[in-house]
Amino acid sequence: MSKSSQPQNIEEFLLEVRNLTKRFPMVLANDRINMNIKEGEVHCLLGENGAGKSTLAECIFGYYQPDEGEIRFAGETVEISSPSEAIKLGIGMVHQHFVLVPTFSVVENVALGLESSGVLLNLEKVEKRLIDLCIDYDVEIDLKARISDLSVGEQQWVEILKALFGGVKLLILDEPTAVLTPQESEKLFTVLKKMTSQGLAIIFITHKLKEVMEISDRVTVLRKGQLVDTVDTKDMTKAELAKMMVGREVVFHVDKEQIQKGEPILEVRDLWANNDRGQIALEGISFALYENEILGLAGVAGNGQKELIETLVGVRKATRGEILIDGEVITHSTPRDVMEKGLGHIPDDRIREGLVTEFSVAKNLMLGQQRDRPFRKGLFLDKDQIDLHAQGCVDSYEIMTPTLESKAKFLSGGNLQKLILAREFGMQPKVLLANQPTRGLDVGVIEYVWQQLLEKRRDGDAILLASEDLDEIINLADRVMVICQGRIMDVFDIQDVKIEQIGLLMAGIEDASC
Amino acid sequence: MLIPFLNLRIVRRQHETKLSQILPVLLALLAAFIVSAFLVWVSGSDVKVAFIALWEGAFGNTRQITETLNKAAPLILTGLAAAIAFRAKIWNIGAEGQLLSGAIGAYWAITTFPGLPPVAMFIVILLSSFLAGALIGLLSGYLKTKFNVDVIISTVMFNYIITFLLSMLVDTVYRDPESYYKWSPKIPEVAQFPLLLTKYRLHAGIIVAIVVALVIYLLIEKSPVGYEIQAIGHNPTASNFKGINKSKTLLFVMFISGGVAGLAGGGELAGLIHRLRIDFSPGYGFTGIIVAMLAGLNPIWIPLTSLLFGALLTGSLKMQIVAGIPVALVYAIQAIVLLFVITAEFFTLYEIRRD
Repeated sequence: MSKSSQPQNIEEFLLEVRNLTKRFPMVLANDRINMNIKEGEVHCLLGENGAGKSTLAECIFGYYQPDEGEIRFAGETVEISSPSEAIKLGIGMVHQHFVLVPTFSVVENVALGLESSGVLLNLEKVEKRLIDLCIDYDVEIDLKARISDLSVGEQQWVEILKALFGGVKLLILDEPTAVLTPQESEKLFTVLKKMTSQGLAIIFITHKLKEVMEISDRVTVLRKGQLVDTVDTKDMTKAELAKMMVGREVVFHVDKEQIQKGEPILEVRDLWANNDRGQIALEGISFALYENEILGLAGVAGNGQKELIETLVGVRKATRGEILIDGEVITHSTPRDVMEKGLGHIPDDRIREGLVTEFSVAKNLMLGQQRDRPFRKGLFLDKDQIDLHAQGCVDSYEIMTPTLESKAKFLSGGNLQKLILAREFGMQPKVLLANQPTRGLDVGVIEYVWQQLLEKRRDGDAILLASEDLDEIINLADRVMVICQGRIMDVFDIQDVKIEQIGLLMAGIEDASC
Repeated sequence: MLIPFLNLRIVRRQHETKLSQILPVLLALLAAFIVSAFLVWVSGSDVKVAFIALWEGAFGNTRQITETLNKAAPLILTGLAAAIAFRAKIWNIGAEGQLLSGAIGAYWAITTFPGLPPVAMFIVILLSSFLAGALIGLLSGYLKTKFNVDVIISTVMFNYIITFLLSMLVDTVYRDPESYYKWSPKIPEVAQFPLLLTKYRLHAGIIVAIVVALVIYLLIEKSPVGYEIQAIGHNPTASNFKGINKSKTLLFVMFISGGVAGLAGGGELAGLIHRLRIDFSPGYGFTGIIVAMLAGLNPIWIPLTSLLFGALLTGSLKMQIVAGIPVALVYAIQAIVLLFVITAEFFTLYEIRRD
């Protein structure tokens, strides 16, 4: 790789990560990662969701212990067994979720983290040093304000001040702009530049290409737990970075037969909805989904996919526009009504949204249908029918479970996904929303899920396939729709599309000729 | 988590068995017994004498057994009230207030329709006490669904409101003009629950309680609504995605939970106390929580755990007389049992392994 920055001298690095491997029960989160950070640089850690960025950062911060590999800090090999160890070394981290006491003031929250404060708090001293810090870095914040009265952006400043107060040499920011407005982000970037000019090193985790280009000196790209490369930002274009991030390798091929698509089943017209924080998440989404069709929904996480699916399922209110199934308006129907209209849902967060893991496998296989025949007989549940149905599902979907009565929480992720497929397919939906249906699964199960989806397509189902894995979309979909910041950027027939083009649109770059 | 020096590690259980669920509870009871014995010993009494007195006071003769059953009856009902709510992870701590409301409701119905024949009166008492308790439960549920008021807070606050309402009623509209005490006149004989045995105070309340236990068992474990209650308790997000209406379920649960606690009040009024008074309940609503926890929130076990706590309450009298141990010790034992049972819950989920 001509553009790689080769290490000239080991001692110039503040932090060095060598062959770091971290495994979790289901996944290899980091596979022999090498990375180094120089003093005074902003180093972006770029990758899609699940690429292993956060895991790597948490290993450096001592929250996780790597299974293999070595971390060197300021020229010495270190074993960082806990976050407090990391802080002592001079490594600070600002998480996506803040750890602040809402009823305490800014000064009190900073003082709270100090180990050397002794029995008596010297708040004046803390405040004085904080004022100096704010002046140094040009941060404007009311130090006496209570956390609960501050905006999310301001709270992030408090987290950063906390880290600075501890005298960090390396600051890790985990997707800091996710909660910020564009103006707040600009302000953050200015301050970060000021920090690095004073010798601080910053690891900036993101999946937004625009930010990488704007703020970083170098960028390390991860994909599916593996290091792609570390490059100097100035040598790269957005398109090149997008390609590195999304990747090109195809895991395996599937036989997708050509099928003439049928009638439109699901129609979405000018759909608007807000996210959980009340900001606009969908800005006028329109599309149609046909029988015998898989429509891919490509996009970087957090661009409205979650809100779109939730609105379609009926758990999120549409603020404008309409949704139709078979020509019938379902915009403001309850999840149950939508389900009865023939909409199935494979959620991306299967544990949280798709299962009751404390329930048995048999009970999970009828979740949502507990009031319907054949599972209800008169006033009561019909255990024989429930077990009969469950046994059928377990057999035909090859769900590995000790017994039908075993709690779902003891099943592996792949088997849980099969359980959801069995349940949702069993309801014979006309429309199927599959959100990240293969995330975190083993290759064998992925292939199985793909075949099942293609079979449903053959049977006449209309399938919306949201995936961050572009290979999955290329392999399965008939058309692909790209979403960015709550808007549909474009829709293509899959034969006509180049993966680079999708990558650019995902990043919000409309002029695909560059 | 690693326990240093001992090389022991606490890990999540990979499978659950009947034994891994029941054994910790039995051990908790044993531990509570040992600690209680220690308390008795510290207070200077003979441990053996005290516990024999406790046993005899609860089960020594027919009179004491019937008294124990009379105490178990309201505990079964308040225990069921706690169990159904807790299964949905709705923390109804208001069974005490709902019980008192049930008693007030039943008293109102009895004094409003005094001329009813016995069977009709029996039904009216059950209905009115259920509805009066259910109303209070429903109010807390409404505050939660409409204004997101924490259920723990609102139910606890209703306990105070109903307690003071009762104390106001027995001092004003319902005050017995012929008595020095602040209590209401006795309810007419037609409204009093039939006695099950001659010469003893054992009344029909225990039968009502056991029937209700059976109904609640079927509701929670065997019906679609019970399935939904448990689903919401375990995973409200997935339940929402799969079309289970959280607000409706919450209102339903609070209605039934409050109603069942209200039945306990109606039963006490018509079966035993026969009038409203300030010290109407010795905290049955709160003891019901412990009873339910000890039964693992399973309605089928609640009559058994209620019997245990009923026995503690009746037996404590004899223990006081024979061994000179204050009745307060019984409340200490109750609390100790609760603490150990909560601790035991940890061991149904985790196990300790040697590294």
